[in-house]
Amino acid sequence: MQEKNKVTGTPVSRIDGILKVTGKAAYATDYPVKNIAYAVLFKSTIAAGTIRSLDTGPAEKSPGVLAVITHKNAPKLKIDGGIRGGALLQSPKIEFHGQHIGLVVAETYEQARHAARLVKVEYIKSEPRVDFEKLSKEAVLPKDKEKADAKRGDAKAALQNAEFKVEAVYGTPIEHHHPLEPHSTIAEWQGENVVLYNSSQIVNGAQMAAAATLNIKPENVRIVSPYIGGGFGSKGGQWANLVLTAVAAKVVNRPVKLALTRQQMVNSVGLRQKNHQKVSLAATKDGKLTALAHETTTHCAIENEFVEPCGDCSKIMYEVPNSLITYRVVPMNLILPTYTRGPGKSTGSFALESAMDELAYQLKMDPIEFRLKNEPTRDPSNGKPWSSRTTVQCLQEGAKAFGWEKRKAEPRQNQQGNFLIGYGVACGTYPAHQRPSSARVSLNRKGNAITARVELAAADLGTGTHTILAQTAADALGLPLNQITVKLGDSDLPPAAGAVGSVGASSYANAVHDACVKLTDELIAKSGKQFFVRPTAAQLMVSENVADYQTRVDAKPPANADQYSSHSFNANFAEVRVDIATGMVRVTRFLAVTGAGKILNPKTARSQIIGGNVWGIGMALTEESVVDPRWGNFVTRSFGDYHVPANLDIGAMEAIFIREDDRASNALGVKGIGEVGIVGVAAAVANAVFNATGKRVRELPITPDKLL
Amino acid sequence: MRPFKFTTVSDISSATNSVAGKPNARFLAGGTNLLDLMKEDVERPEELIDITRLNLTQIKPLTDGANEIGISIGALGKNTDAANHPLIRQHYPLLAQAILAGASGQIRNMATNGGNLLQRTRCPYFYDVAMPCNKREPGEQPGCGAREGINRMHAIFGWSEKCVAVHPSDMAVALAALDAVIKVRSASGPERIIALADFHRLPEDRPEIDTNLRPGELITAIELPKNRFAEKSYYLKVRDRSSYAFALISVAAALELDGNRIVQARIALGGVAHKPWRALKAEQLLVGQEATEANFKRAAEAEMADAKPLEHNAFKVELGKRSMVRALQVALTGNRS
Repeated sequence: MQEKNKVTGTPVSRIDGILKVTGKAAYATDYPVKNIAYAVLFKSTIAAGTIRSLDTGPAEKSPGVLAVITHKNAPKLKIDGGIRGGALLQSPKIEFHGQHIGLVVAETYEQARHAARLVKVEYIKSEPRVDFEKLSKEAVLPKDKEKADAKRGDAKAALQNAEFKVEAVYGTPIEHHHPLEPHSTIAEWQGENVVLYNSSQIVNGAQMAAAATLNIKPENVRIVSPYIGGGFGSKGGQWANLVLTAVAAKVVNRPVKLALTRQQMVNSVGLRQKNHQKVSLAATKDGKLTALAHETTTHCAIENEFVEPCGDCSKIMYEVPNSLITYRVVPMNLILPTYTRGPGKSTGSFALESAMDELAYQLKMDPIEFRLKNEPTRDPSNGKPWSSRTTVQCLQEGAKAFGWEKRKAEPRQNQQGNFLIGYGVACGTYPAHQRPSSARVSLNRKGNAITARVELAAADLGTGTHTILAQTAADALGLPLNQITVKLGDSDLPPAAGAVGSVGASSYANAVHDACVKLTDELIAKSGKQFFVRPTAAQLMVSENVADYQTRVDAKPPANADQYSSHSFNANFAEVRVDIATGMVRVTRFLAVTGAGKILNPKTARSQIIGGNVWGIGMALTEESVVDPRWGNFVTRSFGDYHVPANLDIGAMEAIFIREDDRASNALGVKGIGEVGIVGVAAAVANAVFNATGKRVRELPITPDKLL
Repeated sequence: MRPFKFTTVSDISSATNSVAGKPNARFLAGGTNLLDLMKEDVERPEELIDITRLNLTQIKPLTDGANEIGISIGALGKNTDAANHPLIRQHYPLLAQAILAGASGQIRNMATNGGNLLQRTRCPYFYDVAMPCNKREPGEQPGCGAREGINRMHAIFGWSEKCVAVHPSDMAVALAALDAVIKVRSASGPERIIALADFHRLPEDRPEIDTNLRPGELITAIELPKNRFAEKSYYLKVRDRSSYAFALISVAAALELDGNRIVQARIALGGVAHKPWRALKAEQLLVGQEATEANFKRAAEAEMADAKPLEHNAFKVELGKRSMVRALQVALTGNRS
């Protein structure tokens, strides 16, 4: 992937790595704001009803307490200003267990936390709607037009007449994002203006939502978020905690810091919803798919709807003449679900790719061969040509690298001592889009020493965005990497897209690249000279004796981008080892082969892919947020109960990238890897478990009890 | 957290004197569980007595003058040090394995041996003050959230309508199998010795009381008698993830053989009851029998015949049987793979 003399495409270590491992990188609550007070939220202990009375007296009298803010005294906020999930202390109504009902501000964190427990609340309870197993029968068509029934041909009829078919329901549980850095904010007012140091995946989005909700102008709100300790979608949309910190700071007339506790994370910042996905597949004897129906039932919040698009992979993965994609949703007394890594695709691919494996087994066909037989030449959902599609290469190169030929076609054929060994494969995909982003590039020359500064309000989730943008700028300006400074995560900088939906790398890198090209063009024009060989900006700064120069670009996706269907693709290979007696599963080897366009930095890209794979393995084997169906509370509120994979759960991880040059997608051919890394992973593991044990687990996670 | 008084002591008598007559005082050792519980407002001590300076960290052989008769493990030694001590590795590998199966490396570096025995259940209803729990709020008798709630992780033996929680320790399960005794001191009266089997209790009508430790008592040491199990023992822990997860089922298994005939068998189970569950029925069935898989199976089935699973944990009965057989097999053959 590396071009000659280019730093782009090389495995450069993170330029902010030393800052991070030495603790010098300032995350939101690390800012040394003076005279700070501490806020702690307190939450409802019922899932549905109304607050009858609140006694805040003891809390107000508790040592160090500066204010207790509840719906009774909170300033008026705009509840539809873009903050997700409600809980803005605007009414006594309770819609989910653990809804914020107030916050205490005190001199110290401990004082605030203690006083928050002294508030006495009485409720008028109503019957909570929290038992999904019962309520799913009442699910209805979502309001979201994109979730309308999508039919092509007649899938039901084709299924009825099919000789080979699979019809099964695949269940995925509620999951939480649980970034290591809980959502946290410092709010500091300066007159009419408020600075919010806040962990934000969409810097400008946070600015807009905070301003609208606080009933002030966007230019009065500044978001500072240079580093993010993980977000996975939960810091994309902003939640009440951001605005309530600003409210608290206004009320006490001092800067205020508010950080959620781990336990508060389960009902403060969204979740991945529980899905029942019925997938029906039919094929001819020789393995040609004839029908695919993917019918998802899920839940949303009482007032607001969010439905993750579980049918998206099924829309485009395979050539099939009869297709049906549907969604049904039921409102429940739980916090609003939200974007969660690989939204819809990670969960949807578990259902689709498990069903593909089931049907391949029924057909006595190798699951790779079965997929290759149904490879579409164009996007089956809209007939558009692919900007590029690498599924075939991913499967074929992956099979070779993984040693797929060693897989036994029949399950339970590979026993080693107390363990059954199995191999599984599954494909994944995620859309590749470039979003409008601006960037400013400034050059400064002192003698012959030239430095560059790259600035945009982009977000670095911890994935290496600072680094890839420095690489992009270094090549485009003709400067060494260490002469580039990258400044991100500040709404005072030129506006940029969010680090969401795998749009970050393509949107930001194209903007930075364009800005560097424009800067060079302007320096050439300024020189008034004609060059046979295009000089670099760095050369021009010297030859034209320029001390300072800067320019800005407002980059947009290519005009013809939507003539193509543009996606990243992958194939995932898992080897599992299942303890015959205890049902404990270990993923001993995992390989993800990914086609995601131009890889700007193979080192950070690999980290991001295997990070997605690890979460996918967690999805497959360990992660589940459990709701008590009587009361709507989560019983899995700590890392002791919510099992993200530990090091010991993860075996050998390998990531291979397919080399591709997809300029139809965007000018640089960068497609994004954040989401696709988790897509298809759970199915690959579940398929491997079937190959090992002969047991088809359709309800995640695959805990030991399910394999007894 | 609630305000509390913090007292530092430097010897056993000042520790026991500091706590005497103060029902709301707690000793603070590693703090890996107590501080968590205080932050969550589950434990509400008015005073913490820091005992980390007490000289109770040694691991040393016990003798009757002439012969070694066992080992003494200081209550304030760290779990990591106990698991890695050469005497324990050599003579009590079952204990080393059990300790290393628990928690995480970081927690074991802080957690003490005495504190490990006193850790409280991880029942989520106990941990969440918004939920009813007879163990946490004994006076008000609010009911047991887990009895009719999410009880996949809960007891299948010895539970009561008041409480279905399980004891979380791995170390204690191995200690139960190895017939450990606990030495305790208090401000009044002489040293007391409590058999580990009698140390933890079943919930019955008083689930708020985890152990038979009396108010004001300080654990000073754990003692293990000499045994012949070192060659044939194994700690198996079945859990939802490979590390830092509490047991669905754990089995401490140890055999003493004469040829292939079982002279003594020890089996204790974790994750099944309010205390480490000594599988006495299975042990008795095995004594005098040949060490065969069929006999292991028969013993396991007999033990599990008395299990009373709850709504979500019926799997523990089958898993318990399989795990006992597996643990005994590994103890016998030494072959883990």
